Amino acid sequence: MSHSISLVAVLDQTMAVSERLLLEQWRQRRGLIFWILFPATMMLLFGLVYSHNDNMRAGLDAAAAGILVGAALFFSCLGGTVSIIAAERERHTLGRLLASPLHPAAYFLGVVNAQMVLAAVQVIVLYSIAGLIGAKYHGSWWLGGVILVLSVFSYVGMGFFLGARFARRSEEVVVALSAIGVPLLVLGGTFFPLEIMPAIMQKVAQWSPILHMNQAFKGVAAYDLSFKELQFELVFLLVFSVFSLALGLHSYRHLLDEDHQA
Amino acid sequence: MSCLLQIDGLYKSFGEQSVLNGLSLKVARGEVVGLLGPNGCGKSTLLNIVCQLLKADGGQVLLMGELLNHQNLNIRKKIGYCPQQSALYPDLLPQENIQFFGRLYGISSHRLQPRVSELMEQFNLVPFSNTPTGALSGGWKQRLSLAVAIVHEPELLILDEPTVGVDLEAKTDLWRLIENLRDLGTSILMTSHQMAEAQRLCHRVALMRNGQIASEGSIAELLTLVPGKAMAKVTSVNKQAVLQRANELGWSHREWDDQLTFLLPNNLEIKEIIDALGTVQVSAISVQPVTLEDAYLEIMQTKAAPV
Repeated sequence: MSHSISLVAVLDQTMAVSERLLLEQWRQRRGLIFWILFPATMMLLFGLVYSHNDNMRAGLDAAAAGILVGAALFFSCLGGTVSIIAAERERHTLGRLLASPLHPAAYFLGVVNAQMVLAAVQVIVLYSIAGLIGAKYHGSWWLGGVILVLSVFSYVGMGFFLGARFARRSEEVVVALSAIGVPLLVLGGTFFPLEIMPAIMQKVAQWSPILHMNQAFKGVAAYDLSFKELQFELVFLLVFSVFSLALGLHSYRHLLDEDHQA
Repeated sequence: MSCLLQIDGLYKSFGEQSVLNGLSLKVARGEVVGLLGPNGCGKSTLLNIVCQLLKADGGQVLLMGELLNHQNLNIRKKIGYCPQQSALYPDLLPQENIQFFGRLYGISSHRLQPRVSELMEQFNLVPFSNTPTGALSGGWKQRLSLAVAIVHEPELLILDEPTVGVDLEAKTDLWRLIENLRDLGTSILMTSHQMAEAQRLCHRVALMRNGQIASEGSIAELLTLVPGKAMAKVTSVNKQAVLQRANELGWSHREWDDQLTFLLPNNLEIKEIIDALGTVQVSAISVQPVTLEDAYLEIMQTKAAPV
């Protein structure tokens, strides 16, 4: 390893970073409540809309999947990562981290790990509520799990990119998320089905990674589609998550260099 | 004393602005070296390069004979860094901040807990063990920041203006803590704007100007650079007459802060100064032995080029 510290040390640093982030989240209970309240409220609202109309009741299962991947994980994993980067800069802790033997990969993986734990909590909460209002999960748990893990990787990678490049202060987090993230959400079919969009928007939407996350998870959760039937979405998601992680790691290194020169 | 830190010919520029111009400095094992100089002279830039927060454009830094470079993470375990801003996690408790950084520095779990408890005791932080760090006052945050910087018992401690922005009580307490570390043999490289701080804590002081060391030595050595044993500050309505008489007496003078200051060859009493000035009318005189502040002003304001 070029950074000359052992793999065990990197793993311990990874755990230290993720435990610290989770502890901070736990202490900022208000923030944690909002992370959970947001998808829960969305699920209840969508549930009411779908349950109200007999023709739409079948869409409830797909709505639950879409809210989880397209809204809940988007805001917690992507928005949360952007906030973490901005906070490290604002509190000057980034300098202290840089002066320590913390391996860049350990910091990156620590954030990924913490976001995975938060994502797991959101899955449990959201599907508990969804179950209460009649939505069901139909497909393979392991395939759904793989899609969620790849989605978290993609969001965290994008979060590092946005945080390192565009959000110097916490006030800029909302702006960066709104300007870049929300259009991706809309194009990703989170709020409206792809079918009701104009043809040109449907074509553009094919480039939104959130669309493929949504379609893959909806395919498993609501329609019990198999690995083979979701091959295109899964390959796209795999390639995108690798790209996103590489972009995120590159952005983090850029952030370190930038901070070195600050 | 063996050399712990060796800085050779460091250069650093930010765009067109040159901040360090071939600076060289050594810190011996167990020595406390203070960097003094005006704002923008390159003090913090130098510390940031030693802590590997900045890359130098030229020159090298050796710690215990090992070259510092950004690829070598292990060497960072030998350095403790206490930045100017406390740089702590506000939602964590004090002991959790120490513990987190201890883990980053690779302290094993069975050694970490006793070390955290020891530092909490040593820095009198135990009464705040249930207080989130963000709720601590500036002085307590700075104490905690110092504790975090030494959790891994570094060979070299870097302190960037350790008492800036804290009240007198906290400052005195921080000085006492740094003195304890010094007495235990910790090597320290620190920046400061306070002469009293440098005089109290440092074995040796390096005065920086224009990205170079203008002068360095022990406090006693720096005081010898002032051509006098005592400084007399004189206020008079007739400046010219005072200057003429002082010139006849062979006293060299400086005009610092719009005040006439004379460098006296001996420690004279005020009465002796009045007698020496004879008929020249003065409205106020004060006299005191030469201090580090006088040496600083002498070197910074009267030397044309760094020595």
